Amino acid sequence: MYPTRRNPPFYNPTDRGIAPNVGYQSKVRGIDRYNVIGFISSGTYGRVYKAVSQYSEPGEFAIKKFKPDKEGEQIQYTGISQSAVREMALCSELSHPNIIRLQEIILEDKCIFMVFEYAEHDLLQIIHHHTQPTRHPIPASAIKSIMFQLLNGCQYLHSSWVLHRDLKPANIMVTSSGSVRIGDLGLARLFNKPLLSMFSGDKVVVTIWYRAPELLLGSRHYTPAIDLWAIGCIFAELLSLRPIFKGEEAKMDSKKAVPFQRNQMQKIVEIMGMPTRERWPLLSTMPENAQLSTLSAKPGSSLEKWYYGTVNSGIGGQGGISSLGAEGYKLLSGLLEYDPEKRLTAQQALVHPFFSTGEKVSNNCFEGVKLEYPHRRVSQDDNDIRTGSLPGTKRSGLPDDSRPSKRMKE
Amino acid sequence: MAANYWESTQRRNWQYTREQLADLRKKLEEEEPKLVQMYPLPQLRHMSIYFNQQIARLGKRLGVRQQAIATAQMYIRRFYTKVEVRRTNPYLVIAAAVYLACKMEECPHHIRLLVAEGRTLWPDFFSSDTSKLGECEFFLISKMSSQMIIHQPYRSLTSLQSIFSLTQEESALAWSIINDHYMTDMPLLFAPHIVAVTAILLSIVLRPNTTGLQSASGSAGNMANAAHQALRSVSQAKSGNGGAQSAADAKVVRFQEWLAESDIDIEAVVDCTQEVISFYEVQEQYNEKPCKEQINRFVKARGLDK
Repeated sequence: MYPTRRNPPFYNPTDRGIAPNVGYQSKVRGIDRYNVIGFISSGTYGRVYKAVSQYSEPGEFAIKKFKPDKEGEQIQYTGISQSAVREMALCSELSHPNIIRLQEIILEDKCIFMVFEYAEHDLLQIIHHHTQPTRHPIPASAIKSIMFQLLNGCQYLHSSWVLHRDLKPANIMVTSSGSVRIGDLGLARLFNKPLLSMFSGDKVVVTIWYRAPELLLGSRHYTPAIDLWAIGCIFAELLSLRPIFKGEEAKMDSKKAVPFQRNQMQKIVEIMGMPTRERWPLLSTMPENAQLSTLSAKPGSSLEKWYYGTVNSGIGGQGGISSLGAEGYKLLSGLLEYDPEKRLTAQQALVHPFFSTGEKVSNNCFEGVKLEYPHRRVSQDDNDIRTGSLPGTKRSGLPDDSRPSKRMKE
Repeated sequence: MAANYWESTQRRNWQYTREQLADLRKKLEEEEPKLVQMYPLPQLRHMSIYFNQQIARLGKRLGVRQQAIATAQMYIRRFYTKVEVRRTNPYLVIAAAVYLACKMEECPHHIRLLVAEGRTLWPDFFSSDTSKLGECEFFLISKMSSQMIIHQPYRSLTSLQSIFSLTQEESALAWSIINDHYMTDMPLLFAPHIVAVTAILLSIVLRPNTTGLQSASGSAGNMANAAHQALRSVSQAKSGNGGAQSAADAKVVRFQEWLAESDIDIEAVVDCTQEVISFYEVQEQYNEKPCKEQINRFVKARGLDK
C-alpha cells in the first residue's frame, strides 16, 4: 500500500546527529561517490561542476555546490539561503521531461550539493554558436522544437503553481539528444498560497532583458504571464541571435530603492510601441505608469516589421527561416503582449497553429540538423569540489558579452 | 508535483499508518536504551501539546502567520520520526523549524532575529551562537531529505467553505480544529483534504452560530457528543439514507449528500473524527509542568543547550 521508503543515499542511520559539540557529519561522504571532471560555471549561489559517478550509476552529472558562508577561514553554518531552500524543495517535487532532473541532494560538511543530470548545451551557447564565425540562423525546425519543449516545461511548472521567474537562454539546457530542460529554479516559487503579496519577497526578479513590462512598471501582483513574456523574448532571440530588448540596467540607489528601468522600457517601446489603455486596460494602475510619458516611441508596434525583417534576412544568407511564416509572427506577438491578462498562457501557446502548421514538431531539437554544436567547456582550474574556493572565476564557457548580472540580492 | 498532493513527496514519503509510526518510534527508542531509561518523558501526545505551545510563543513574537507555523509543526513531527527526541535540544529544533518554514512559506526572518527571540523565550536552553541554529536547520533538512513543501488542509477548507455555505463562525471553528490537529499525529496519518472535511463536518454539527462560538479546545465532552453525531451522519451518508429531522440539519444533509457522491475515503473521515475527539480528551488532562521539567532535565544534563 505504501511505497517503500527509500533513504537518500547519504542517509546513514548510525550518524549521531547534533550531539553536543559534534557537527552533523555522515559516515559515508556522499560527495565522494562522484568523480569531479571539472568546473563549469559560478554564480552568486556558488559553483557548478561536471562529474561522473564513482560507481555503476550511468551518465554524467552537474553538481551545484551552494556557497558556504565563511567567517575568516572557518566555514560556518549561517543558515541556508532562501533561494537554495526553494530550489531544493521544488526540485524534489517536480518531475517532467522538460525540467532538469534532480538526481539527489547531498548535505555534508556544512555544504549543500545538488546533483542534476548533465546537459551538454544551453540556449545561450547554441545562440552564440550561430553567430560564429558569421551569423547563420538556427534552423526553423530546431526553433520550433525548442519553443515547443520550452512551453511544455513552462506549462508543467504553471500547472504545478510554480513561477520560474528567471527564464533566459542561459537557464534553458539542451541535452545532447536535443531535449530541452528548464533549469535553475533558484528564483522559482509557488504562487498558490502567497502569504505576502508576491512583490514583498524579492523586489527584483527576472534578468532585465527578459523582464515583463508589468514588472518594469512596478506591478505588485504579477502572474505566470511574466514567464511567457520571457519566453517571447527568448523566441525573438532564437530568431535574430540577439536579445530583442537589450537595455541597460539602472542600479539600485544608496537608499536601496528600486529604480525605474527607463532604458529597458525604452528598448521595449521602440519595437512594441507605447502601451495604451486600449491595449492594456489596467495600465493606469501600474505604479510607474507616469514614467512612460518620459519615453519616446512612434505610435503603434513595429514588431511585425521586426519579425519579417529578421526571418527574411536569412541573417548571413543560407538556410533562411522564412518558413516559420505568419504563424511565427502571431505566436511572437501573442507572447510579447503588453497586457498580462491578454498574453498567451503556456497552455494556449502550445496549441498555437505555429506548432501544427508545416512539418511535425520533433522532441529532438537537433533532428535533421547537420550542425555539430560544441560541447560545454569544462575547465580544469578547479577540480576540488570539497574545498574549492577559487575567487571570482566566471563561467568558463563563453566570453561574457556584457550580459547583465543575474539577479539582485534578495 | 508541487501543488498536487497526489503526486507529492508528502503523500509518497510522509504518510504513515499508525503501525508504521509506532514501529519507527519504537526503533528510535531501542537505539537509545540508556537515554530512554535515564530520561523518562510524559506521553508523546502531551509532549506534542507542549511543543505546540512553545512554537506558538515563538511564532507570536515573530508575528508569523498560521500557515508557516503549521509548516514548522509538520517539519518537527517529521523530524522526530527520524531522530530520538532525547538526542536533541527541542527548543533549538523548534526555532530551526520556524526559521526554515518561514523561508519556505515566503515570509523569511533573519537568523539573528530567531536566535535573539529564542534567547528571550528560553534563556537557559538556547545558545546565542547563530551557527548552532544553522547547524540544526541543516540537520532538519537532511532528515527530511530536502522534502519541504507541505500540503495543508487550509486550502481545502477555503475552497470547500463556499460549497457548504459555512458561516463565519463555522469557518473559524473548522480553522481552529485544523490548527489543533497539528498537535497530533493526524498530519502524518491523513491526507490534508480528509482533515479539512472532518473539520468542516465537526464545525457544522457543533453549530457555533446557535450555541455560541466555543473554542474547539473548550469542552471535550461537547466535542465528543458532536463528533459522535457527526459519525452517525457519515455512516448514513455511506448507506445512502439521508434523513434530516429538521431544517436546522439542512447543512448536515447537504454535507452527507456531498460526501456520499464524492470520492472521499469515508472510512478515513470516520477515523480522523475519532482522532480529533480523543485529542480533545487528552488535552483536558494536559499538564505543562512535567513536560517542561523533563525536557529541560535532559537538555541540561546532556549539555544540549551549549
